[in-house]
This record gives sequence, structure tokens and C-alpha cells, in this order.
Amino acid sequence: MLSRAARPALRAGAAVSSRAVAPSAGFATLREIEGRLKSIRNIEKITNTMKIVASTKLTRAQRAMTDSRKYGETSNEVYQSAETKPLEGEGKKKLLVVCSSDKGLCGGIHSGLSRYIRRRALEDSNFDLVILGEKCRTQLQRTQAKEIVLNFAGVGKDIPTFAEAQAIADQIINLSGDYSGVEVIYNRFINATSYEPSSIPAFDVEAFTASPNFAAFEVDEEVLSNLREFALANSIYWALTEGHACEISARRNAMDNASKNAGEMIGKYQILFNRTRQAVITGELVEIITGAVASEEM
Amino acid sequence: MSAWKAAGLTYNRYLAVAARAVRRSLKEEKRLAAERRGQQDLRFAKWTNGKQGEVRNLAEANAQQAVENAAA
Repeated sequence: MLSRAARPALRAGAAVSSRAVAPSAGFATLREIEGRLKSIRNIEKITNTMKIVASTKLTRAQRAMTDSRKYGETSNEVYQSAETKPLEGEGKKKLLVVCSSDKGLCGGIHSGLSRYIRRRALEDSNFDLVILGEKCRTQLQRTQAKEIVLNFAGVGKDIPTFAEAQAIADQIINLSGDYSGVEVIYNRFINATSYEPSSIPAFDVEAFTASPNFAAFEVDEEVLSNLREFALANSIYWALTEGHACEISARRNAMDNASKNAGEMIGKYQILFNRTRQAVITGELVEIITGAVASEEM
Repeated sequence: MSAWKAAGLTYNRYLAVAARAVRRSLKEEKRLAAERRGQQDLRFAKWTNGKQGEVRNLAEANAQQAVENAAA
């Protein structure tokens, strides 16, 4: 994929910029400057294209996000009107479902989630992790490897479907551990430039039956576990779509900045290139003239 | 107990099967758009003691699980 291929090039670009601070240290030849200029131009092309791709995907992703948010909120309304509180299970672990994705080059939204998890771990490390997406997996397996129980790959290639959320929820429900509650962690979309790691609680059957307003509902005991499974799938779907919209929007911003920086560097290098070319021409002229004058006088 | 539960399906799986049946019975042009919504191609792995286990296809694993649940 493009993102992987672009990485060494970006690193090369970064290395160039550190050299550009002190051009007098090593006198760059024309050819060298020309080569760098060309590579920066190519990087700009890549980042610009990625930005355009992200912009076109953004509208669809945002529409899916607003729809799924409404859907998820409606699904959680039953818990709100029942005033369900998570059970205070002593010694029982919590299960955190982290919704990231497989792709990078989108600013700090994945590391934002990882940091949130690490902060939670400092407060209370009594939890297990289910990680959706490769990015958070590689980040969290360095520090939180012991807590991970499941990880999913292939998330976030396109707008998440409900079928995906259902399949994930199925696996999570079949986990053997005894958990006091499930929380879905995702990036909340505040506006086009800011995102915030937040969580959606998904309640257990016991938590729901213990809620103060439970008597207001007339339900069969049998259906409750179905409701729990379905609500978990709804929450995951909501979190995945909102996280996806955040990612696309963050990628658009990141690529916008990258293109801008590349543009600046191109300007700087163009000036440097012209100056050096002038200097070389002047130097050659001086050599010719002094040579001519010297041979005349002989 | 409902028949699907006896067959080892979870509620989500039951819904997915029902949704698939509805999608397949749609008219051709609507069906293509709808079936795209039913696609999923996820892989997953179980972790034990900080080590990643074998990576497996999620759809197959879910189907296998249903069979095991039905037998139990």
C-alpha cells in the first residue's frame, strides 16, 4: 500500500529538513539540491493525493457516523430510562473493547486511544483488553500485552458494516472470562480537528436486572441475554463508525499539513537552488575572465 | 426455547442469518447494494499470557462455535 511505501520517503524528507537549517555547514552541490527538490515534490504529490482521497471519503463517513450515533443512542435509551448502573463487582475484571483501525498516517488518533488505556491502567489495572485494529495492537502489546485477550484485524478498510460489529460481538460474548462489565472505547468526534477518547458502557444481564427502574419494563427473563448481545453489537457498531469518521477526518488534516510543509520546503529549496546556480555561474565567469586577463598580459 | 437457540446460534448470528435471507430476496439492483452491507472479512487471534495465538478467519470461527454450542 501507499502508506507503507511512502514512509521511507517521508523519513528522508525529515532528514533533509534538519540539514536545511545549516546549509553553510556542507556546501551542497547543484545536483544534490536538485535531487532533494525532486523527492520533496514527489512526496507532496503523494500527500496531496491522499488528502483528496480522504476528503472524498469524509462526507460518506460522516453521514454513516451521524446515523450510527443516533442508532446507538436509541439502543442505549432503554438502559438510561432503567437507570442502569454498572455493577460494583469486587475483584472482577472489566473488559475494555478498543476501537482503532489497521491504517496509519492519520495523526495521533490511535496513540490517543493507547494513551487513554495506559492512563486507565495507572488508575486501576484490573481489566482485560479486546483490540480492534492493528494499530492499537502494536502500540499496546508493548506495555499491556498481559491484558490482551482478543484482537481483530481487517477493521476500518471501508465504512464499518453492522455485520462486522455483530461478528465481533459474538466472539466477545463467548469469552470465557467473568467480567463485571464491558466498556467500548472509541474516538468521539467533536469537530473536524478535535477527537476525544470516550467510552460507551455495555451492561450485563445482572446489571440490567439490578437497575432501579427495571420494574417499568415487562420482559421475559429469556430475552434479556439476547438484548445484552444485541446492545453490545449496537455499541460496537456505533464506536466503529464514529472512530472511522474520526480517522478519515484526522488523515485529511494530517495530509493537508504534510502537503503544506512540503510546499514550504519546495519554496526554500527552489531559492537555494537558484542561488547556488547563480554562484556557480558567477564563479565560472570569474575564472574565465581572470584567465583571459592573465593570458593577455603575458 | 426458540429453535435458533437450540441450534447453537447467538442472537446476533440469528439476526445476521435473517438479514442475509432478506438481502438475497431483494431485486437485482437493490440486492447488490444491500449485499455490500453484509460483507465482513475480519481475522482475529486469541491471546494468552501476553502472546498472540493463531490468526483465524472470524466468520469460520463463529460458524464453528455455533456447531460446538449446538452439540453442548
